[in-house]
Amino acid sequence: MTTLHDEQAPENQQSPTVDPKGVPGKAGRYLEGITAVIGMELRQRLRSRGWYIMLGIWFALIWLVTALVWMSWKAQSGYNFDPGFGRVSPGPLIFEAVCAFVLLFGLLVAPAFSANAISGDRSAGTLAIMQVTLLRPGQLLWGKFLASWVVSLAFLVVSVPFLIFGIAQGGLGVGYILVALLMLALELGVVCALGVGISALANRPLFSIVVTYLTVAVLTFGTLIAFALGAAVSNGTVEANQPFYKGMEMYPDEQAPAQDTEIYPPVPLPTDVTDQNDEYACYGPLQPQSVSRTERVAWLLAMNPFVVVADAIPYPARTTQEQSYGVNGVFENISQGARYAQAGPDATFQCAGGKVTASRFDQQVPLWPLGLGLQLLVAGAILALGWRALRTPAGKLPKGTRVA
Amino acid sequence: MTEDQPPPPVEVEVETPEAIPPEPFHGLSATGLSRSFGQVHAVVDMTLHAPAGQVTALIGPNGAGKTTLLLMLASLLAPDTGAISIMGIDPVKNPSAARAKIGWMPDTLGVWEALTAREILTTMGRFYHLPKSTIASRVTELLERVNLSALADQKARVLSRGQQQRLSLARALLHDPQVLLLDEPASGLDPGSRVALRSILRGLAAEGKAIVVSSHVLAELDEIADGAVFVNQGRTVLLQSVEQAVAQGRKYSIAALDAPALSAALASLGVDFVPGFGRRDAVVVTLGSEILAANLLRELITAGVPVSDFGPATGALEETYLSMEVEQP
Repeated sequence: MTTLHDEQAPENQQSPTVDPKGVPGKAGRYLEGITAVIGMELRQRLRSRGWYIMLGIWFALIWLVTALVWMSWKAQSGYNFDPGFGRVSPGPLIFEAVCAFVLLFGLLVAPAFSANAISGDRSAGTLAIMQVTLLRPGQLLWGKFLASWVVSLAFLVVSVPFLIFGIAQGGLGVGYILVALLMLALELGVVCALGVGISALANRPLFSIVVTYLTVAVLTFGTLIAFALGAAVSNGTVEANQPFYKGMEMYPDEQAPAQDTEIYPPVPLPTDVTDQNDEYACYGPLQPQSVSRTERVAWLLAMNPFVVVADAIPYPARTTQEQSYGVNGVFENISQGARYAQAGPDATFQCAGGKVTASRFDQQVPLWPLGLGLQLLVAGAILALGWRALRTPAGKLPKGTRVA
Repeated sequence: MTEDQPPPPVEVEVETPEAIPPEPFHGLSATGLSRSFGQVHAVVDMTLHAPAGQVTALIGPNGAGKTTLLLMLASLLAPDTGAISIMGIDPVKNPSAARAKIGWMPDTLGVWEALTAREILTTMGRFYHLPKSTIASRVTELLERVNLSALADQKARVLSRGQQQRLSLARALLHDPQVLLLDEPASGLDPGSRVALRSILRGLAAEGKAIVVSSHVLAELDEIADGAVFVNQGRTVLLQSVEQAVAQGRKYSIAALDAPALSAALASLGVDFVPGFGRRDAVVVTLGSEILAANLLRELITAGVPVSDFGPATGALEETYLSMEVEQP
């Protein structure tokens, strides 16, 4: 067992020299290399017990969240009264809670699978072994990225039963679940791409994992803080006149007999009304009003993964009455809030330009394509930097790097 | 993501023509290589020619730049200056073509611990674009050759250091490379595996491959290597064939059953000697050539000294190495 075999390989047989005709086409060879990397990565992941343990914990957590939401709804449903338009099922509540938790946990778990993909190989001395083969840096990156994405998607698959449970409780269409799953998958992909890109740049696995978590934190919390601060400094003015609320005529209300009109005469509409709707009218001369120009910093908000997912889910049109009863869930509020910020004071400040403006829940311009686009741009840029760092023969090396 | 070769090094050194051996040189050649990492000049000026069909030893103290040189030869690191030719291919300009011809065995082990030996080699075969139909048989053949067949389906993490080393050798040989770069291949190997490694390397050289071996086990290299390149502090200090090393003077250790008789005989022959440093009661003499050694032995026997041991005290390459007076940092 301790000796190597002395005899030489018979050289008359076909020696396995690198054969350019062996694989069809350049693209085919490129894909072949990527699948080889994916296969190698998945094989290693599926053999680690930690992965199964994490999957188990994940399943238990989502189950717990679903059960708690359902129970809390049950407990409250005794007091819930039916306003008459269907907020009777816990479906949307469970669906949103599961969605939010899956996204939250996904953001926490995805870096664990992606952020050591290349730095781990580097510290184990296996990266150089791959680099010295005919594998190209792009194949390495694509393979590592796709493998970590597939592994993260397994967590999404585990949570599907709970999303279906939420849908089954009624109140939402099947389209919801498909859009939500697609967006969650895309967000996990963005995090995996960030993680793999950062791991290609970093020397040590610990460093790249921490930096990836920080990046995720920047996307999740940093964007909110940056938006708030940005909105605070983005002062501007908008030309607007005064709103006149028709509801201000409190007396008499609709139920009250009409004979009291002489005692409580309706407040007359101002004479110089520029525009009006059922709710209020705009009147008077246009004056500059100081506002926060949120549309300038809405892109920061758009990069938030929760905003992207919430905004991509289509919500049914709401009546004013529904809004006042708070039918819309948290995700819908996030979506509308973000769109409101994006529209800016020109479209949302009351009586801006003397026009009646759409209410908060009527913002139709979606924000998520911008957010997802920016996320992809950042992830793509980091991957491109990682690709540069993986090229060999290496020119400049970061300090303290050892190739092998 | 586009795939492009990295840009050529900024400075292209115009090499002095006399440094390049007469074309066509078949094998691996590197001339005037230098490479620094920030302030550290790992390789200052190294020249190495490893002809096909020969084993070339790369010898130098720790930190002499051996691994950096091998990394440059393996197309992983771009030299700051100098030119490399792998069977006529420049690995900086055309790394893919060069890599198809290079087999590299690093000094770090680098195994994927969760994969089996067979899986590692099979994946490597796919990375090298070997024809799918031949990968399995080639992997089996190599596992056989490095005597890992019995452990082929064990996770690499259960392999011992020496076994991982042999797996690493099999990996380097997988795509039948024309140039082999082995960084400390014998470290961690048991004596039996060392003998086998020696015979594998001689066999590969006989097939016409150019082999570069860096090692600290100098006595071993006497047996394997045809030539040696001595490096120190980032420079090539000496190019020497093993014949030259043998021909130069070296120390011989002599022991006899009757130590005083040996001392007396050497004194009467006018040969300077010093007590040996081994445990045994031996003396060490310095002789200029093998002929002188043969003469001395004959004269000692003729003088009736009961010589029990007569042999080189150091290996031929070790002698050169020690005479280099390398500065250990």
